[in-house]
Amino acid sequence: MAVKDKLKTDLFPTIWCPGCGIGLIMQQLATVMDGLGLDKLNTVLITGIGCTGRMGAYMNFESVYTLHGRTLPVAEAVKMVRPELNVIVVSGDGDMASIGGNHLLHSIRRNPNITVICNNNEIYGLTGGQTGPTTPQGTNTISSPAGAAYSPINLQGLVNTNPNSFYAKTTVYHQGPMRKAIKEAIEWPGFSFVDVASQCIENNGRRIGFSSANDMLQNYRTEYKAAPPGSTHLEPHQTGIVKGQVPTGAVPDNGPAGSGE
Amino acid sequence: MTKRLVQGNEAVFLGAVKAGATHFAGYPISPSSEILAQASVYASKHPEFRFLQEEDEIASANAILGASLAGAKSFTATSGPGFSLMQEAIGYGHKVGIPCVIVNVMRVGPGTGMPTMPGQGDLNQTRYGSTGDYTSIVFYPSTVAECYEYTIHAFNAAEESRSPVIILSDAFLGHLNEVADLDSIEVPVVPRTLEPLASGSTRLFSGVATYPDGEPATADSDEYIRQYHEGRERSLEVAERYAFHEYGWNKDAETLVIAFGITRRVAQPLAPHFALFRPIRIWPTLDKELTEIAGRYKKIIVIEGSDGQYANVVERMLLRRVERVPLLGGRMSLEAIREGLDAIGMLPAESAPSGSESPAGSPAAPASSRVG
Repeated sequence: MAVKDKLKTDLFPTIWCPGCGIGLIMQQLATVMDGLGLDKLNTVLITGIGCTGRMGAYMNFESVYTLHGRTLPVAEAVKMVRPELNVIVVSGDGDMASIGGNHLLHSIRRNPNITVICNNNEIYGLTGGQTGPTTPQGTNTISSPAGAAYSPINLQGLVNTNPNSFYAKTTVYHQGPMRKAIKEAIEWPGFSFVDVASQCIENNGRRIGFSSANDMLQNYRTEYKAAPPGSTHLEPHQTGIVKGQVPTGAVPDNGPAGSGE
Repeated sequence: MTKRLVQGNEAVFLGAVKAGATHFAGYPISPSSEILAQASVYASKHPEFRFLQEEDEIASANAILGASLAGAKSFTATSGPGFSLMQEAIGYGHKVGIPCVIVNVMRVGPGTGMPTMPGQGDLNQTRYGSTGDYTSIVFYPSTVAECYEYTIHAFNAAEESRSPVIILSDAFLGHLNEVADLDSIEVPVVPRTLEPLASGSTRLFSGVATYPDGEPATADSDEYIRQYHEGRERSLEVAERYAFHEYGWNKDAETLVIAFGITRRVAQPLAPHFALFRPIRIWPTLDKELTEIAGRYKKIIVIEGSDGQYANVVERMLLRRVERVPLLGGRMSLEAIREGLDAIGMLPAESAPSGSESPAGSPAAPASSRVG
């Protein structure tokens, strides 16, 4: 199966915990890449710091494992210098929306043609389980034993400040819709953000009462419902794709930097 | 281009273009903002040159790393506070091996400091600003023509060392206008050495310690030491070929003055009374060259725009004490230097303070021998 060609299986087993949701994203991303013909000559991965960032090492692509929070400046620059490449950012909620928040704000504003896949496990998993920007208010974490104090960041709202953006919400349980969201995000001619609810059983789930990864996956199945088709806004716990307006007007077709175009 | 009036910051930008830069990402900050402005105008007329004013200096520093990996010779420009923000990215550039150039037009610090006053207080930051061990290559010109010339050298050294190379300037030099014929300055340009992204490999460019195959090496001290030595030896070997310095003035004098960047220019009227050693390559230190020269002099005075950052380095290099004339708060004048010399009892008899501030020494470029 050509999907396996997208993965460096000789480096398996991965370092992710048994029951981690990240592998589910990697599998579907590899499937989408196979279907779209993305390979190491036309696509690069930019990954953030956190468990999610390890994904680049396991895929058969050039990848840049950036500093914490800095995937977007790197990704935009790569795209600006090599507009012909598909640039895919793979990162987590903390990397994207906390330390990376300012870059997220401005990348959304600039609308570069890059795709962001966010492993949103609502926690800082790699460091043991601290509150993240998307952790639901009241959640018991290492840095909020009395419950997370603040309401989570509104990722959809942030992305939608640019009417040309693409926002999708999905979960690692809903593999078919997730695959569709990733595919359409890559195809979107502008900034696209795929917000994937994903489980971290070891450093989050157990602390908040889940007994297993499967327990968390079943929770996605029961908690998340597909938004009605044509929805222009997703309510909490709704999955779906919200596409903005494709920008009109001529976009300069520059070749690679230095090419004279 | 013939002889014309050129500004220091402008000369840096023109040097970058000459060196083949095709990407600039930056953030406005005095006294470097002219470089950003030049880049944006140039980009509007040359589509092959990519420009972006980023949201902050952190984005700027990370963007030039990405641009370089993608295949463009890339640079940014900032001042002290912005340079502080860029440190993590600079360390990443050293760890991963990414050629790029960072221009730091120094002001008086710390904090936001004195944005339009010249300082030289970032020397330690250019060497040790990021976490961990790495080998910095840093050049600091003294004239507008040198701003152009050494920026090209910086891009070359970046390609050969595969690391971020720093060009220092300051609020005085950056905004200095001098007549120069930049076209007459010939520096061969080193072509791109790093294979661009998506050329057929599946490399992992990782800030986290990894083995060459991409597996984490986060607990392997031997692998760290192996990679560290490899990087250090490469940078030191490259720096050897860029050992730029100046030795001149009155070589028969009893005392050696060490001055660099703008202070070397301001101190020029003292030339009859002292010998001069001017490091142009600030880091790595010019141990071999300075040790050999310093041995001839009974006394050494370091005149600099900080409270002894380079003087401390010289003392370590030579294992002997030096005298210091710190020019603080941006007061870069011959008057201030004379007062400083007087304070340590080293003011030459023939050059008592004249009572008038003369902000610059001789307008001509340094006449003494420049080597490297």
